[in-house]
Amino acid sequence: MRGGGRGPGAGGRLMTYALAVFAVVAALLPVYWMLTISLKRQVDQLAVPPKWLIFEPTLAHYADAFLERSFAQYLVTSAIVAVSSTACALVLGTLAAYGLARFRLPRKLNTRVALWILSTRMFPPIVTAVPIFLLMSDLELLDTIASLVIVYTGFNLPFVVWMMRGFFREIPRELEEAARVDGDSRLGALRRVILPLVTPGLAATAVFCLIISWNEFLFALTLTQTDNAMTLPVGISGRVTQYEIEWGVMSAAGVVAMIPILVFALAVQRYLVRGLSLGAVKG
Amino acid sequence: MLSKVSRKLLKGRGHTRGGERALPYLLIAPTVAVLVALSIYPLVYAVKVSLQSDSGDGARWTLQHFARLLSDDFFRSALAHTLVYAAIALTVEFLLGLGLAVLLNREMRGRSFFRAALLVPMMLPPVVVGVVWRLMLNSSFGVINGTLQSVGVNTEQLTWTGTPKLAFASVILVDIWQWTPFIFLILLAGLQAIPEEPYEAALIDGSSPWQTFRHVTLPLLKPAILIALLLRTMDLLRVFDQIWILTQGAPGGATETASLYIYLTAFRFGDFGYAAAMSFVLLLLTNVVSVLYIRLLQRQEEA
Repeated sequence: MRGGGRGPGAGGRLMTYALAVFAVVAALLPVYWMLTISLKRQVDQLAVPPKWLIFEPTLAHYADAFLERSFAQYLVTSAIVAVSSTACALVLGTLAAYGLARFRLPRKLNTRVALWILSTRMFPPIVTAVPIFLLMSDLELLDTIASLVIVYTGFNLPFVVWMMRGFFREIPRELEEAARVDGDSRLGALRRVILPLVTPGLAATAVFCLIISWNEFLFALTLTQTDNAMTLPVGISGRVTQYEIEWGVMSAAGVVAMIPILVFALAVQRYLVRGLSLGAVKG
Repeated sequence: MLSKVSRKLLKGRGHTRGGERALPYLLIAPTVAVLVALSIYPLVYAVKVSLQSDSGDGARWTLQHFARLLSDDFFRSALAHTLVYAAIALTVEFLLGLGLAVLLNREMRGRSFFRAALLVPMMLPPVVVGVVWRLMLNSSFGVINGTLQSVGVNTEQLTWTGTPKLAFASVILVDIWQWTPFIFLILLAGLQAIPEEPYEAALIDGSSPWQTFRHVTLPLLKPAILIALLLRTMDLLRVFDQIWILTQGAPGGATETASLYIYLTAFRFGDFGYAAAMSFVLLLLTNVVSVLYIRLLQRQEEA
């Protein structure tokens, strides 16, 4: 009832439900439609009136995309890139976050450094995409998985620092001091006492990094050219623009690209607001 | 890795004050180094690229790229598209998001299901969003026109991404579909953080629901509203992915935003110097917003 003032009557409640159901249908129907396209034979895909529920399902498009064409490889590349860049960012970022959250640095350096770190995440990606492409080309790293891991680590780092700094700050200092009285060093206390306490936060942060890397498109598009290092989004975009009518393959790949993300998103629902606002709203 | 670092520190300096004082810097330094390498250095490099002419064999210092900015009508219209796109999408997303948040901010059965379902569009990979809507909006075989035809509407004029005005409206529609949930989610969190007492006071004063909303809810929701709007604006100004899949800027550049135009200049026409120069204009534009956001966070920090 909070925020509502007075309780709505039966009619009001019905209206609320009707609007909520409408919003949910609007949100999900397009996605459901892609799912049906991925499972339909071509005749059914193009049928007028559209077949929403009843059609003869087929897995042919999935077989086509993942067995005949290179989508299985794109999938593996996407997974490698996402996991490696997440791991790098978590290790570096968690240490930095601990340093920023738990030590008093002179001249307000804690806040200044933290805000500077965040500001690096606010550049429009196209601004750094042009020079990074040229730099990677000089380093002969174009079209390699390594280039994407490096770039995505940079993307994820500010995020990890801000999320983890928030989680560290929520842990009472006394716990750490108690551990240190017991003879732990500062980092010993971090490892033995603090890290176990922030594990849920760490896991949520990791999932966010996986989502960010998995979804990233612009850098993957500019830095890769061949099956060597193409991620799933780039693979999909190539088909979309080349063969307009290959709806089945496109949708099948789209469904596969979407499933891990939805699972992850549900897993971190509790931290979603915090993650999306870069730690600004505790949610 | 942690234990190795800690052992080394212990061995080297033990628990002395010196080791203690250096520790935070050692912890922060690697992150700062990576970020300098991946964002500050590229920016400096982009400045250099934008100030050199790439014609001929030797690079020559020149202001030609920045001079060209002033007379490039395509860039001007790409900027205009970006701003109009951002303004319309932000307004609609905010109003819808606020409405949904107020609507779902009450005890009701299935609320967590509604909330979870509404998150789906915004979590999807942007490329997949593009695919979903290409399927929906295709003028001959898409489900929207198919449905309209089957109820007897003549869809000949409804080419969605085919004509300039309609294409621009379509890409905005897709943005609204994808990102209204973001505003909804942040504002819902903001609403739930408002305590009971102000509402009880308003009830005792006999305020109408509208007065309560206007004088109690809105002021208390202001921080969340600011955060949602600023974050959204930053994202809108850089929009690229879904438009790339949906139209690639077509027809006739009608849906070409600044990011698309810069991308095409650099990677289709190979004019990196001019692309870099244009990207600084975009950076300046988003900077206005990101500075506001950082100030907001700074105030939170110091409070």
